[in-house]
Amino acid sequence: MSWYRRLWDHRLGRVGVLMLGFSLLVALAAPLLAPTDPYASVRVSIDDIYAPPDGARLLGTDDAGKDVLSSLIYGARVSLLVGFSAAAIALLIGGTVGLVAGYRGGRLGNGLMRITDFFLVVPDLALQIVIVAIIGQSLRNIILVIGALGWTTTARLVRSQTLTIRERKFVERARAVGAGDLTILMRHVLPQVLPLMLANTVLVISLAILSESTLAFIGLGDPTKISWGQMLNFAFSRGAVSAGAWWALIPPGLAIVWVVLGTTLVGNALEDMFNPRVGRHHLEPERHLRTRTDSPRPSAPDIALAIRHLVVTFEGDHGPLTAVEDVSFEVAKGESVGLVGESGCGKTTTMLAALRLLPPGGAIPSGEVEFDGLDLATLPEDRLRQARWTRLAMVFQGAMNALNPVRSVGDQIGEAIRTHFPERTKAEAMRRARELLELVGIGADRATEFPHQFSGGMRQRAMIALALACDPEVIVADEPTTALDVMIQAQVMDLLVDIRQQLGMAMVLITHDLAVVAESCDRVVVMYGGRVAEQGTVEEVYSHPAHPYTRLLLEAIPDMEQPGRSLISIPGSPPRLDELPPGCRFAPRCPEAMARCHRETPPMTVLGRRREASCFLLEEPARV
Amino acid sequence: MSEPVVNLTDVTRTFARSRSILDSVLRRQVAQVTAVDGISLEVHPGEVLALVGESGCGKTTTANLVMGLLPPTRGVVEVEGTDLASLDREELRQSRRRIQMVFQDPYESLNPRMTVQDIVSEPLRVHAATRDRGHERERVVEALEYSGLRPAERYLGMRPHELSGGMRQRVVIAAALVLEPAVLIADEPVSMLDVSIRAEVLNLLARLAHEKSIAVLMITHDLSTVAAYADRVAVMYLGRVVEMGPTLDVLRAPRHPYTRALLSVVPVPHPSRRRERIILTGETPDPSRIPTGCRFHPRCPVVEDRCLTNDPGLVTVGEHHQAACLLLNPA
Repeated sequence: MSWYRRLWDHRLGRVGVLMLGFSLLVALAAPLLAPTDPYASVRVSIDDIYAPPDGARLLGTDDAGKDVLSSLIYGARVSLLVGFSAAAIALLIGGTVGLVAGYRGGRLGNGLMRITDFFLVVPDLALQIVIVAIIGQSLRNIILVIGALGWTTTARLVRSQTLTIRERKFVERARAVGAGDLTILMRHVLPQVLPLMLANTVLVISLAILSESTLAFIGLGDPTKISWGQMLNFAFSRGAVSAGAWWALIPPGLAIVWVVLGTTLVGNALEDMFNPRVGRHHLEPERHLRTRTDSPRPSAPDIALAIRHLVVTFEGDHGPLTAVEDVSFEVAKGESVGLVGESGCGKTTTMLAALRLLPPGGAIPSGEVEFDGLDLATLPEDRLRQARWTRLAMVFQGAMNALNPVRSVGDQIGEAIRTHFPERTKAEAMRRARELLELVGIGADRATEFPHQFSGGMRQRAMIALALACDPEVIVADEPTTALDVMIQAQVMDLLVDIRQQLGMAMVLITHDLAVVAESCDRVVVMYGGRVAEQGTVEEVYSHPAHPYTRLLLEAIPDMEQPGRSLISIPGSPPRLDELPPGCRFAPRCPEAMARCHRETPPMTVLGRRREASCFLLEEPARV
Repeated sequence: MSEPVVNLTDVTRTFARSRSILDSVLRRQVAQVTAVDGISLEVHPGEVLALVGESGCGKTTTANLVMGLLPPTRGVVEVEGTDLASLDREELRQSRRRIQMVFQDPYESLNPRMTVQDIVSEPLRVHAATRDRGHERERVVEALEYSGLRPAERYLGMRPHELSGGMRQRVVIAAALVLEPAVLIADEPVSMLDVSIRAEVLNLLARLAHEKSIAVLMITHDLSTVAAYADRVAVMYLGRVVEMGPTLDVLRAPRHPYTRALLSVVPVPHPSRRRERIILTGETPDPSRIPTGCRFHPRCPVVEDRCLTNDPGLVTVGEHHQAACLLLNPA
């Protein structure tokens, strides 16, 4: 969506746009709107001074007998001219300083920032007064002074943004291509910084208008120009208060408030839109939680976790998007299940939903997640919290970066234990933490060390220890070895398999690598486009894949026993949530697709106990 | 064989570990980190060389040396017969035209605000390769189609977020190849991509080398997928090349215990064929404290007494196949 469209949709932003637009129109059309020309000299009689409002002069007259309404209208010109011009100067100086300081860094950057800090702490008004008094009170001088002192916030903002963008990979790539600094700044950095820079500039405009009014009010405005501050100044110093002429005081005051409020609203709305910090947060309470009074269907006694007909949706621009559709599988006690598929197939979403850790906008409109007689999909948050982590724990992808850097690793594990079992003493929790670190092969003596003293593999082990802290019955590991070296991957996977067998835990391993599943899981669930394509024991699925997708996936992984074999790629890409194909989701990429595959959704065909696949080919007797 | 495009002769690169305030107060000696320790490598036109190793083995430093982003501490880095050390800043920037790079993360390495056409034409503009906009578009289209984005016209106006990971990596490759470089360095080109589409991207890189006579240097920790697409493999450990040879020879008959261990931990994609794995304990040691003798000895499963004192050099173990292990020489 274009930015002006979004600005218009922003409630307060729209109010601000309307307020500011009105002021601009008034300023532009001043000669047409104003009943008289306030700059023209007229002869006034004593009755014209502070004449109260009447039919001809809607806002009365001022100390010089001039029409207040006309002055007010013409005053908009000066205020807005000062605001926009000064902000433009501030943008130019602040933008340049920020870009250079952020991009170059080093001594030059530091020097520029010290200058910025200096201007930031010096009281603007005092400096403005001194400078204007010295260089003279012309409108041009006022604009220059306000602009030259108002750039500090812009500079700081632009610098911090530039610092982040400078480190982004696409900037590094541009540099590797051989682009010079100027090209990189103009083509890569500036376009990224610009939106926030402009949002900030709108706020600078309102500050500049306020500054001009203040200067004019204390008598340092351009005496030849009519501005709102000037009007207030004259009214106050020339007896409007004692004359009871409220009409000479209130309108210019309100006009200042009006314009400043309008620009501030627009600026804040733009900042809301462009600033990545201001967004929705994971800690926001869940919405759309279904309530349910009955208990879920109990599973066979050997089943630890049963997901049944699970549906997960996310809010989209045009209605809800289905990320997971009718997914069912069971995890037996002490069993390890591999959940496999390409990125975006819904494997992580399925498990996040099962643990009710969906990001904002996610919902579970139907389906159940049965765990020990409870339906986790509808369980109220307070009861859910008792089960999550103590009985069902998760090791997240890239979790090694999730440790708190300023607390020792042992401390963090101890704290997790005490959060869930407050009756344990600190010493007990710490003892358990040391045991766990021993268990994951880090060694109890390193419990007092901090995360930065650990390597990536060590941190991942620590995260596993953290997940094991409360002896869970089921542990969900989401790509636990991505971003680790091959040897460390093997170490971590071995550790998970060992610990799982030692402690008799069930595990769900989320991965895109079928080879890893072959080595560490008992069962496998292959997902595609938010649905289950096929499931069964590892032996069944690998020896006799029933779904064409599984067959292709198996051909895409290398086998070191046949190093010469060429690998295949599955043509095309997985479907996007907003353009799911009708019929079988895999049909557009399937080499064996028939006409009906593009129209109808294939049913789940049961091929054995806990063994099923969803493909029309299975209905043809010759193929089974 | 033809003249090598990239030629590293006995190259060493050390870094000074940054000095903390405590170090300077105590007048402690600053540790020297030897990231690359006397390696010699050649990459020929039309050849794919995979540089394999774990993090901290010096493979990324080697790539930076070839790119001219870092000068070597000792030794000579030659690209197309020119010693990079003899070039000034501007000449080095010009040389980038001949050495292009494909980055690991196709999600991060494309500017989200630029269109595919802008991204692929950027190298042409930066190097003022062509002033003619029509000709520029022609070359962009050609590069995109070569990279498998056909018909290119469909992709020109798209922005990165509209493309899948595999397509993005093709855009990155197209941008690297539009200048017709002599050397292409691919740093973990598929590690962020799904297993199911890795083969296509790797095939593309191999085809690029063979058809356009580009010397491709692939940097990876993954012996199973990436290295399998190379013509030759060089395995690095702690700054040294410990084994180097034609891919199939190295994968079928690895001679260095480290290579053997790396190969053994590649998961076998079938549950009934489990084989013995050699899982090395611990992690690659700190490159500021390289072990004496053979640098692999603390983790080596077949270590002997002499390995603690003698530092092995590369010995020939087959045609174009070399390994650095004392066990290859009879005691």
